[in-house]
Amino acid sequence: MPESSSGPAVEVNKLSFAYGRQKVLDELSLEVPGGISFGLLGPNGAGKTTLIRLLVGLLRARAGTILTLGRKPSPKIAHLIGYMPQLPSLYAELSVIQNVEFFARIYRLRDRKQRAQRVEAVIRLVDLWEHRNKSVTNLSGGMKQRASLACAIVHNPPLLFLDEPTVGLDPELRVTFWKYFSALTRQGATLVISSHTMDDAAHCDRLAFMRDGRVIALGSPDELRQATGQEEATLEDAFLYFIKHGGVNKNVQ
Amino acid sequence: MSSSTLVIASRIINQLIRDRRTIILIAVVPLVIASLVGVSVPDKSILDYTAPAILAVLILFFGFLLTGISFLRERSQGTLERLMASPVSRLDIVGGYLLGFLLFAVLQTMVLFFYLIYVLNVNYYGDLWQILVFQVLIGIGAVCMGTFFSVLAKNEFQMVQFIPMIIVPQMFLCGLLWPVSQMPEYLQWLANVLPMTYGVEGIRALMMQGQNLLDIGKDVGVLAAYAVGLLILTAVTMRRGAG
Repeated sequence: MPESSSGPAVEVNKLSFAYGRQKVLDELSLEVPGGISFGLLGPNGAGKTTLIRLLVGLLRARAGTILTLGRKPSPKIAHLIGYMPQLPSLYAELSVIQNVEFFARIYRLRDRKQRAQRVEAVIRLVDLWEHRNKSVTNLSGGMKQRASLACAIVHNPPLLFLDEPTVGLDPELRVTFWKYFSALTRQGATLVISSHTMDDAAHCDRLAFMRDGRVIALGSPDELRQATGQEEATLEDAFLYFIKHGGVNKNVQ
Repeated sequence: MSSSTLVIASRIINQLIRDRRTIILIAVVPLVIASLVGVSVPDKSILDYTAPAILAVLILFFGFLLTGISFLRERSQGTLERLMASPVSRLDIVGGYLLGFLLFAVLQTMVLFFYLIYVLNVNYYGDLWQILVFQVLIGIGAVCMGTFFSVLAKNEFQMVQFIPMIIVPQMFLCGLLWPVSQMPEYLQWLANVLPMTYGVEGIRALMMQGQNLLDIGKDVGVLAAYAVGLLILTAVTMRRGAG
């Protein structure tokens, strides 16, 4: 795993952002400790994708501060960050191995032998080695998602932003993806994963419930469930509870 | 030139090589158009006058179209966003596109040039290498123009609309069909601010009058200035494009 800072992997303080007059994020604050999987949970339009795009430096904040690995998002730390956008975002004409190899070179894995080993390792990790020479056009939706994940992790980044990585996957593949994510956190990586399904939420170490550009609750899945006061509350119940009772940035820990 | 520029250029070349139908179209379509012009002109001297302009205009047209659509696809399929989140700079991305597509522009020029000379028997007097260098310069301008306008377009449909808006007026006003000096004064003024006018003027001077690149320094300078200006504009406006 490449260099990383010893503090929180991500610190966001009073972050606001708007597309024109449409406010998308409203004084949002959160902190993501290193080495865990952190879920951004919320309905469509909650601001999850915008937040991730701000965190990887694709958008600039109007107000507030962002620190990723202790520094402001910029091309200087881009090699420490992995990003998997919502779309598979692959070159359709190229094969799986050509796509992964391309991103390996873009992320400056210069040693040819090491690069080849790393490319093979990540393609094997996502179970696509048998299909490595297939054009992306000929892959199923799930295979494209797996290839996209391979491109995002090929440079072994300590911090990964995954924007709805499990959307459109069948339940079996979703479980497989969470196995990949667990393997990455065990290796010390920090994962920030956006989702709108509570199935995904249960797999995360910590969660931020988001709604209308704000964090309405922060905590582990158990803490969030317990905060409802109901013994058998689900995360869905917890989310509804915080919509009804929760204030802005309510940390239940 | 950074290594990322070369990595992006080699990826573009790989992509096009794997898309055989596009490669065939790149090679064949200009020849079909040149043949149509070649067999339809009533007088051989008209073909000698028109052929250099066809060479320049077709490189502009295909360079613009290919690069524009490819760059737009890079945005619409999300790969540009992925690149923008990586350590590569915007200039690396535009530079990579420039290099990658330039190779195809040079190949297209050579195929078309030899077809005009050896199949359609067009006369020329200049040095082949100087003609190629000048064509490469037009190709660079076309690639820069394609990437710049693709940043402004939101989808392929809008990009195609830029052809009648940006390319067709240049084809009519550049002197392809009749000399710029015979146009109304206000059209001459318009023609003189369009890069293709200098492309056609330069390539005619090289092929028909046997002049060299130094003799057509003004044309070379204007085309180079356009290319650099568009390159910078593309790099500056690209963040918006990725968004």
